[in-house]
Amino acid sequence: MIEVRNAMKTFQSETVIRDVSLSVRNGSIYGLLGSNGAGKTTLLRMMAGILRTNSGEMKIDGEDIFENNRLKETMIFLQDDLYFFSQYTPKQMARFYRETYPSWDEERYAGMKQSLGLDENKKINKFSKGMKRQVAFWLALSAKPEVMILDEPFDGLDAVVRKTIKSMILEDVAERSMTVIISSHNLKEVEDICDYIGILHNGTILLERDIDDLKGEFHKVQAAFRKGKEPDMSPLDVVHREKRGSVFIYIVRGEKDEITSHVQAAHPVVFDQLSLTLEEIFIYEMRRVGYAKDDII
Amino acid sequence: MFELDMRSGEPIYEQLVYQFKRLIIEGVMEVDEKLPSVRDLAGQLTVNPNTIQKAYRELEAEGYIYSVKGRGSFVQQREEQSNTAKIEEMKKRMFPLLREAFYLGMTREELEEIIRDANGGMDDD
Repeated sequence: MIEVRNAMKTFQSETVIRDVSLSVRNGSIYGLLGSNGAGKTTLLRMMAGILRTNSGEMKIDGEDIFENNRLKETMIFLQDDLYFFSQYTPKQMARFYRETYPSWDEERYAGMKQSLGLDENKKINKFSKGMKRQVAFWLALSAKPEVMILDEPFDGLDAVVRKTIKSMILEDVAERSMTVIISSHNLKEVEDICDYIGILHNGTILLERDIDDLKGEFHKVQAAFRKGKEPDMSPLDVVHREKRGSVFIYIVRGEKDEITSHVQAAHPVVFDQLSLTLEEIFIYEMRRVGYAKDDII
Repeated sequence: MFELDMRSGEPIYEQLVYQFKRLIIEGVMEVDEKLPSVRDLAGQLTVNPNTIQKAYRELEAEGYIYSVKGRGSFVQQREEQSNTAKIEEMKKRMFPLLREAFYLGMTREELEEIIRDANGGMDDD
């Protein structure tokens, strides 16, 4: 369990993280979303124990993360700009990882060498951008960490490699309850694998939700009534109402059956329940908490 | 195995529950057949394992599958095939079609004739 309580971080006079509290359960994949400059990288570097917080707490299973070597042996942090020792090959990097991470799995390393098809004796700086990222995941997953912190990890990867890596992460989560935090500026990139999403904006978490709960929370209703007579919708939590010709479109928060029976009671001549995309749901949910901007995610 | 619509607003676990029910109801998955492990399915579908666990729990609660500790989940023998839900669903699908037919001027007699034909010509009156 990763716990962040009222974390704050300033660089000189600039406050990058204002007041962030969040928790990530073991075996969960937490998607940290936010536009450029929202503070994602800073927050992740604090969670990885590289940056010290100005105030607040950063803990894993009750222990402070900052400069905690024992915790760091069980944790992998993949930065946005990957770092490898210069002139090193994957094989040489693997030797370093083997000594650093007690849970290093040689069999896994050999298995991934096969499935990724990369040359372990080639210098890493000779690899392409996407291949470097594959090398990073190769080493990271072979280290079998308990916690993985990934900063924009899928940038520059093609669809096939992206799926391979996502599958490997998911299998580790299923098998050993690995805990993962993934940052991204793009919801579409992470919505399939995350079970939890937090939106960071201007140094605070605007919204934190279980994806499945969130999906069941909103419903889109399209209805038309005889002679255009709209029934009283006030018993329902209507977050958005729109009239297109004689058809009304409602976005309603609540139980699907309750909404259906309320609208049905008015004997609509047209009645459809449509599903919303996760993106739409987030936009309405953000409006509800007072953010009208649609471009945050 | 099957496709999920990640972009849809319908929760992934509900989609999983629906798909598995369909496979079980249609007999594609047989009684005592093992469901894929959470780990394998998560990897294959690139879906969060917690979501798959949630779907399996739901299927178990509804009596579609049973689990054996350490071995996985299996298709449950259905005691009594109840079609109530399916019939309700079909009624819903028929409704707009019938509305349209009546609007276009189809008579009750014509409809009754269709019902007789559909029922294999067996009529009880």
